[in-house]
Amino acid sequence: MTRLALERVSFTYPSGVRALADVDLVVEPGERLAIVGQNGSGKTTLVRHLNGLLRPTGGRVLHDGVDIAEERVARLAATVGLVFQDPGRQIFAGRVRAEVAFGPRNLGRRRRQLDEAVDGALAAVGLADAADANPYDLGYSRRKLLALAGVLAMGTPVVVLDEPTTGQDARGVARIAGIVASLHAQRRTVVASSHDMRFVAETFTRVVVMRAGRIVLDGTPEAVFAEENGAVLASTFLAPPAAGLVGARLGLGSTPTERALLEALGARDAGDD
Amino acid sequence: MLEIRAATYRYAGVARPALRDVDLALSDGEIVGVVGANESGKSTLCLVASGLAPASIGGSLGGGSLVVDGRTMTERPLHELAGVVAIGFQDAASQLSGVAATVFEEVALGPMNLGLPLVETVERTREALAALRIGDLAERRPTQLSGGQAQLVVLASLLAMRPRHLVLDEPTAQLDPDGSRLVGQALARLAAEGTSLLVAEHRTDLLDRICTRIVVLDEGRVVATGPASDVLADPRLHGWGVEPPARVRLASEIAAAGLWSPPIDAALVEALG
Amino acid sequence: MPTAYHRLNPLTKMTVAAAGSVAALAVGGYVVPLAVAAAMLLGASVAHLAGRLLGLSLLVSLPIAVSVVLVSVFTRVGTTVLFSIGPFDATLQGADFAGQTLVRLLAIALSVGLFSTTTDPRALVADLERRGAPPRLAFVALATVEAVPTLAERARVIAEAQRARGLDTEGGLVARARGLLPIVGPAILSSLTDVEERSLALETRGFTRPGRRELLWSVPDSARQTFARRLLLATLVVLVAAHAARLV
Repeated sequence: MTRLALERVSFTYPSGVRALADVDLVVEPGERLAIVGQNGSGKTTLVRHLNGLLRPTGGRVLHDGVDIAEERVARLAATVGLVFQDPGRQIFAGRVRAEVAFGPRNLGRRRRQLDEAVDGALAAVGLADAADANPYDLGYSRRKLLALAGVLAMGTPVVVLDEPTTGQDARGVARIAGIVASLHAQRRTVVASSHDMRFVAETFTRVVVMRAGRIVLDGTPEAVFAEENGAVLASTFLAPPAAGLVGARLGLGSTPTERALLEALGARDAGDD
Repeated sequence: MLEIRAATYRYAGVARPALRDVDLALSDGEIVGVVGANESGKSTLCLVASGLAPASIGGSLGGGSLVVDGRTMTERPLHELAGVVAIGFQDAASQLSGVAATVFEEVALGPMNLGLPLVETVERTREALAALRIGDLAERRPTQLSGGQAQLVVLASLLAMRPRHLVLDEPTAQLDPDGSRLVGQALARLAAEGTSLLVAEHRTDLLDRICTRIVVLDEGRVVATGPASDVLADPRLHGWGVEPPARVRLASEIAAAGLWSPPIDAALVEALG
Repeated sequence: MPTAYHRLNPLTKMTVAAAGSVAALAVGGYVVPLAVAAAMLLGASVAHLAGRLLGLSLLVSLPIAVSVVLVSVFTRVGTTVLFSIGPFDATLQGADFAGQTLVRLLAIALSVGLFSTTTDPRALVADLERRGAPPRLAFVALATVEAVPTLAERARVIAEAQRARGLDTEGGLVARARGLLPIVGPAILSSLTDVEERSLALETRGFTRPGRRELLWSVPDSARQTFARRLLLATLVVLVAAHAARLV
């Protein structure tokens, strides 16, 4: 199980754009963490530091207390699997199976272990029936699920998802939420960057809000989306999920999930009796 | 007016039709939303509406036709539609021309290709960039844009052509909530000026705000059509793989839990608009 | 900082390069190619590029130059032997032939080099279109120019994705070689599928529309340059004709 840490991490792109400014973040093993923020707030830059794709220009990134600066990305892939936002750029196999097998094969899985990893991943994303299809025959959203399967099959202790729900329909989003839950049940860490506040509130237990390369809020969905943080949240051009807005309107406190809203309503009604 | 009549579309080499007997009419100033699960035919409908199917991508339209401003388009050369119908696809990066050195040039290409005088080309380009608030990206190289930025640039390049009919396939997929709102406003303004719009989207909250009518596709067939508020309140949406807008969803969950009351409904409307 | 030479119309620069190359090639000898070389270096110094251009041209011509020298010096039929290595005689005639070939080579390399280092392909294509070339030609030419950096960028993005899936691209030579297919394959494949999607998008943006268009890029030209171009071409014709006449 791997503990991830960013210590005063700064990152400036060669073009001079400063994407991260003195970010401190610790992710404990098994956490379900969502990173939210506007486009350009540094979300994607941050997640790319977790597996060494980007190296900090200041500060350091640690896996279990060890600086990963000297470690190659290919080696770090055994610990942190990253699913990119755009699936199109990495597909090279002629068959879905072979595509999913690429990652675990690189990590040394063979024969039965490999087959089990691939089958499991395909089943999890719902592509088991398309195992022999050509990846380019799948639509955009199914290709995204394929990319996810490719990382799930690697069995990494940490799974990082960059905008996993964009382009997915309702069933696709539900499926991904289910995958996050099952990863958590396997005591694996899940970190996701997302625009979908509802998905974030319903699926993750910790939310980090970014603005201009810094973390401005960090806590449970209840805490982060509470009314007292309203001004900070507004400054990042984000709004709480619908359930939270309604709960605030009704004076029920912070109810970022639908269940919390219903519970609070039920409690209020019970209290009124 | 853009009309699709009795369209049954089959991709080349695929037995199952992607669209079955679809009729759709778009009047000037209307914003029609298309919703449905992935693989339900939304993208195909967009391709047919823009004239690209079957003209450019092959396949057959099976007796149906596309009629734009009174002229049947199915036997006409595609370039006649340039400036009349514009289409934006799901994957923004693949729509950048690859010949523009800056974003400004990229957006100016459309008007230039229409043979407009230089002065007008520049003016339209500036307007389009301003409408989507991406004026600061004008000197950027198109290859260095993030997914969300590319999506806005592509949309700007379509706006610059001032088409009479605009077809958009998931125009906000990679945008943050603020960007999504901005696009919604820009589209609403376009419609107010007489453009007719067809927007395929998963984000029913956005469609709820801007659409006059909504069409639901399921396995290539139109299963529901009508005023936006009616269709989005249809209880069958879930079965068709469509997520209702937050307002509708929360209202039905609250009702299912037996907690509904008029003040709650009022709060829903106030909080979620 | 664009110099006076940079700011010349692309067609002018192209005419200079073409005239120089044709003159050196057609007339031969030592005088004309060296004069062309000197003229190009003069132009290059106006453009503050003389040193760079010379270095570049020498570098580019070096491989051919070496083989030309080796072959010609020893195998040309000649009467005056300079020295011998084994069964091979180095003749004066051979050396002379090699010398003439080398200066021709240098003149052409400098001509083409001066043109390409001072001309933006976009400006050239835009100018040609202004003079009546079809817009589609412009598009194909520019897309070709952009193709290499685009492919390189795409390969970089793919390499990142594959490394994140455990592909070792930073190891030994064998590892790097094995690592190429999962990068090259998708780079080409995605480029091809992209071409299809991109061309669809471009159709609706009017790229296949017939007719002229007013271009965003304006390239300066002047009556003086037009005159200079015509003069240059006329001089070339006269030169080549005179040379041909002398031969006859």
